[in-house]
Amino acid sequence: MTEGIAAVGVLLLLFVFLGAGIWVAFSLLFVGSIAMVIFTDAPVGQVLATTLWGHANSWALAALPLFIWMGEILFRSRLSDDLFEGLSPWLGKLPGRLLHVNVFGCGLFAAVSGSSAATAATVGKLSIPELIRRGYPEQMVLGTLAGSATLGLLIPPSIILIVYGVATEQSIARLFMAGVLPGAMLVILFAGFVAIWSLLNPSAIPEELESFTMRERVHRSRRLIPVLLLILGVIGSIYTGVASPTDAAAVGVMLALVLAWQSGSLSYKTFTAGLMGATRTSCMIAFILAGAAFLTVAMGFTGIPSMLASWIASYELSTLALIAALTVFFIIMGCFLDGISVVVLTTSVIMPMVDGAGIDPLWFGIYIVIVVEMSQITPPVGFNLFVLQSLTGRDILTISRAALPFFMLMLLALVLIVVFPSIVTFLPDRM
Amino acid sequence: MRRFLDALYVASGALAAAFILAIAVLVMAQVSLNIVDRIAAAVNGTALGLTIPSYSDFTGFFLAAASFLALAHTLRSGDHIRVTLLTSRFSGKTSRIFDLLAVGVAFIATVFIAWFCIALVIESYEYGDMSSGMVAVPIWMPQSFVAVGTVILAIALADELHAQLRGQPPSWDNKQTTLMEQGDDS
Repeated sequence: MTEGIAAVGVLLLLFVFLGAGIWVAFSLLFVGSIAMVIFTDAPVGQVLATTLWGHANSWALAALPLFIWMGEILFRSRLSDDLFEGLSPWLGKLPGRLLHVNVFGCGLFAAVSGSSAATAATVGKLSIPELIRRGYPEQMVLGTLAGSATLGLLIPPSIILIVYGVATEQSIARLFMAGVLPGAMLVILFAGFVAIWSLLNPSAIPEELESFTMRERVHRSRRLIPVLLLILGVIGSIYTGVASPTDAAAVGVMLALVLAWQSGSLSYKTFTAGLMGATRTSCMIAFILAGAAFLTVAMGFTGIPSMLASWIASYELSTLALIAALTVFFIIMGCFLDGISVVVLTTSVIMPMVDGAGIDPLWFGIYIVIVVEMSQITPPVGFNLFVLQSLTGRDILTISRAALPFFMLMLLALVLIVVFPSIVTFLPDRM
Repeated sequence: MRRFLDALYVASGALAAAFILAIAVLVMAQVSLNIVDRIAAAVNGTALGLTIPSYSDFTGFFLAAASFLALAHTLRSGDHIRVTLLTSRFSGKTSRIFDLLAVGVAFIATVFIAWFCIALVIESYEYGDMSSGMVAVPIWMPQSFVAVGTVILAIALADELHAQLRGQPPSWDNKQTTLMEQGDDS
């Protein structure tokens, strides 16, 4: 039982540090050092310096700044106009009409960006005013956007899957492929919900008077073609093994620059703004990862995670019960912490337990990303809620109430991947 | 002094960005060589085997340098994540105390980290450690960028501590670029 108390003590200390507003990376580094000093007589300073160096200097992690940069370039381009312009002629006849622009626009942007906040902002800055002006119900506009934007985390390239892959030493290429089908499944679930809701509430959806011939549709969508090629190129080259995620990211950056240049939105100012933004975001994440790597090493020295794992194992919970318990734990944690912190904490403390229970770490990566997606739209701390609040001026509770059906759909998606794990493993097994 | 420090933070941030750019160029160059190789293999039947020696090692070194050199600049832009759920609820004076506490803790941690990172560089130098790739580089060279980055972060935190103790607001106040503002750039 002492290991239980030690583990609770370490977690509690971490929450005190985090709650006091100390930067996440520093909290991880500090708590790791304290745990090492208390439970071991290993040289803390030396271990700290070698861990920081060893984990900052990584080929696989180089995909992180490059994919962030690619998203930053496209975020500053005219892509959000193109998404609305190109998607709307195709979706006007579906039940739910242009509400689907949010769902599919987010799905598409998610495939070029690894962040859900950027996805919400890019799609929302054009679709919110357009849809409200045309008389679509506000609650559904907000809900579809809040829910679908979380796809940025799951559909590759995904920043959080890179973080998970680096922290747990899983292949990032396989993780990316594992995210494709669950991402597509969520798009279908969201679009299906919108369609069913619209059939039940036919009066709430305004008529679309414009109708398009096939030629006009293709013509209006022509500006989306380069983006679709970019998506196919990045995902295809990773799937076929032609390129590693880092290679694909570098090519993605170059193609994104070409796209931005062609659409006339590339200037010295947007170039440097994108590059500096990517540098800062990647620095922030790399520093948290370095802190988490040290906490993992420190926890390894203390032996707490493995003791905890055997302690949990002694209860002989079924895998299902363990996953159910972890889901509740993560959803609660996700209410207060950002997604990256949830993932790195998991990998430091909970991963040995998951390994011990015989859960496939690849599957677990996708599972935890869906849980983190759910946490993006739960109050009080949900990054998508913050983004939508700043876009619309509506308060967080209103937005999270609008997003609630999508939260439930993600819960359904979790159940589906638990029951049918091959939704996750099908593509990576065929690489 | 003020202008020197601000220039230091911006310069190290810009150097970090240059390293990210270098990663993109290096990886892109290798990908181009791979493509040339494939075409050559298709035409001649044999690949030329074009590679930039140790390019993945260099990519890693550049990334480490970029991540650590950008620390101070990222701090002052307010881009390092912290949980402000509780502390943002307090009024002026209490929230100032929490800010001071965070900066103080971070300063102590950074001095500790910087000390041992410098020790690591000295150790690698004295033992003459080399990287293991085709092009062997003395490992103290890339490591010193990490050490320099932590030292600049320590300076930035000392600067912050000094300013906040004199009652000035945190340097990152009102600087966080919200996504809306970013969108307006385009």
